[in-house]
Amino acid sequence: MRMRTPLLAGTAVLATLGLAACSSGSGSGGSDDGTIVWDMWSGSQSDTDALNETLEIVKKENPDVDVRLQTAPWNDYFTKLTTNMSSGNLACITSMNGQRLSTYADAFEPLTDADLETAGLSKDDFAPGALDIMTYDGKLLGVPYDVATMLVYYNKDLIEAAGAPEPAIGWSFDDFEATAKGATTDANAGFAVGLGEFQWMALPIAQSGKQPVDESGALALTDPDFVAASQWYSGLVTDQKVALPAASASDTGWGENQYSGGNAAMAVDGTWNAVTYLGNDAGFEAGMVDLPTGENGATSLVLGSGYGIAKGCEDKEAALKVLGSLVGKDAQDAMATSGRSYPARAESQPLYFESLDESVRDDVKAAFDAAFADVEGQRSTKNWDQVNTALQPNLVSVYNGQAEMADVLDQTQQQFGQ
Amino acid sequence: MTTTSTAGTRRASRSRLSRVESRQALGFMSPALVGLALFTIVPVGLSIVMSLFHWPAFGERSFAGLGNYVALFTQNPDFWPALRNSAVFALLYVPLNLVVALSLALALGPRIRGRGAFRVLFFIPVVTPIVANALVWKMLLQPQGLFNGISVSVFGVELPNFLADENWAMVMVVVMSVWQGMGYNMLIFSAALEQLPAPVVEAARIDGAQGWRMLRSVVLPLLSPSIFFATVMTVITALQVFAQPQLLTGGGPGNSTLPLVQFIYNQGFKFQDLGLAAAAAWVLFVLIIGLTAFQFGAQKRWVHYEH
Repeated sequence: MRMRTPLLAGTAVLATLGLAACSSGSGSGGSDDGTIVWDMWSGSQSDTDALNETLEIVKKENPDVDVRLQTAPWNDYFTKLTTNMSSGNLACITSMNGQRLSTYADAFEPLTDADLETAGLSKDDFAPGALDIMTYDGKLLGVPYDVATMLVYYNKDLIEAAGAPEPAIGWSFDDFEATAKGATTDANAGFAVGLGEFQWMALPIAQSGKQPVDESGALALTDPDFVAASQWYSGLVTDQKVALPAASASDTGWGENQYSGGNAAMAVDGTWNAVTYLGNDAGFEAGMVDLPTGENGATSLVLGSGYGIAKGCEDKEAALKVLGSLVGKDAQDAMATSGRSYPARAESQPLYFESLDESVRDDVKAAFDAAFADVEGQRSTKNWDQVNTALQPNLVSVYNGQAEMADVLDQTQQQFGQ
Repeated sequence: MTTTSTAGTRRASRSRLSRVESRQALGFMSPALVGLALFTIVPVGLSIVMSLFHWPAFGERSFAGLGNYVALFTQNPDFWPALRNSAVFALLYVPLNLVVALSLALALGPRIRGRGAFRVLFFIPVVTPIVANALVWKMLLQPQGLFNGISVSVFGVELPNFLADENWAMVMVVVMSVWQGMGYNMLIFSAALEQLPAPVVEAARIDGAQGWRMLRSVVLPLLSPSIFFATVMTVITALQVFAQPQLLTGGGPGNSTLPLVQFIYNQGFKFQDLGLAAAAAWVLFVLIIGLTAFQFGAQKRWVHYEH
């Protein structure tokens, strides 16, 4: 009747508009109206402020390009990235953590030498091994902005109180065991094992000289040397009883939290947390050394994060220029002096130490130099994320004495090895 | 003749009016309908489509038919454990929750002093954020936590490492969940208890029923509609459990506490296999709908409605 047609038409229009809005077509590549979007993780307001400072530097160097920053907390960043990937909505400049690159490799555009030239970068600008962080399957998928490796952090107060030998640079695994045993008292343990991928693998890799992925890129969890070293590692909890067993598989930061809470005298963690541990809340004096040297030398992995250009980015040249500024001298110098991360650019690296307190500066520099002296790039497989998701809950059983490390590694190898 | 014709026109005009009114009603509902369509019906439909495809987060999508479902049931090593874990959790959690909630409601039935305060106390775990609850429980259950500390210092007994022990982990997840969820059902039962028809209860009392007999033969049958409601809702939420295992144990040790929803989350967001995740989600849906339909069918046997 009178009311019929307009009402029906109105409902139909509303519905169509709604459905059309939700099917907002093909990926824009994160650049609308020439804006280059830079996607990055940020854990706190201070992180965001630091990122904005970098953004200012970038804008100053590229006045004709409109750059916008978008952030997300660390864990959510990768979930959002997955969602953006599947809807074709990636930001032109996407930050990527080197260790997760294998999972998200498909999202990035490989960078050629010509691309690097457009960006104003050269491979020699970066510290040795740094470019490996953002390389996957032989292709360079981005440029690194920081480099990191694993260190052994120790609690000077606890070790002195127990009368245990203090760790020294270039120490051996026997020295490590001596310190761990000496520092184990009724109140605290000498060492805290890790559940995180790098935190637990660092010592077995250093001892065996082998990575869990061999040079051909195949999973090699059952390599006898690696298995033996991993068994020694879990034996620190079950046999030697110098380390605390993890309380739950959801405690990804177990070892590090026990250390920073003052419950354990030593823990393995990355150089990215050096400044945090130096200024720890528990108030103890923190020290750091490189990983112990095994019979096969001191094998350590170079880790880090970088920026890449996403596939489908519309204005690649502008994006490359922004990329060049993001890891250019000014931005890297600023990052180094603020002490936020150890920069990938070789010439900016010395500035990092100048941001530290004078009393610890020399020790930290010595530890860093020793740790970075002999690093190799991390090799990973396409399903590396799945491997670690499967390993972590099983590690808890191993530390709790309910499963054998060799069996766990064997099962995981069978499940994921090709 | 005139009577029939006027009656005929009156009927016709009434149905015309009701047609107009129903169209007006549709118009008023349209904003809500559009919201429902956009945010519920369309994604649900899309997920059915996704489950029939190999759908990685980034890259080529290819039609797989029932391939994802077959892979779930035959190849994926985590799917059957996840299904088993969700089932075990539901089997342990639902009866325990109902028994505890009902006991609390019955205990707080008579007008004792402080009844209101007790009810608030028992309801607090329901309203506090589950993440906070799980993290505090995790701290309590650690070997260096409160329970082990008291046990060692007072009794000299070393408690097992609950959340890292393959057998104890699920038990502890259930215990924590019961602690968290009992207040909600307790409130439902308390409300139903207050509304028990007084004449029936008085008549039973005059006939000599008291205590256990009163409970079994009078109170419980009268409460059966709310017990039915609580059972249906609790089974649904138990099969959809995610936060407690994720935060307390991370699905470990091994996959002994990995619930189906966390399996779906891992497949979709960690391993980026959205097709497989959608397929698993639909298996969960069928399971829940099947159980709910079964419960609705079974209610004729044991649920007594008043009329």
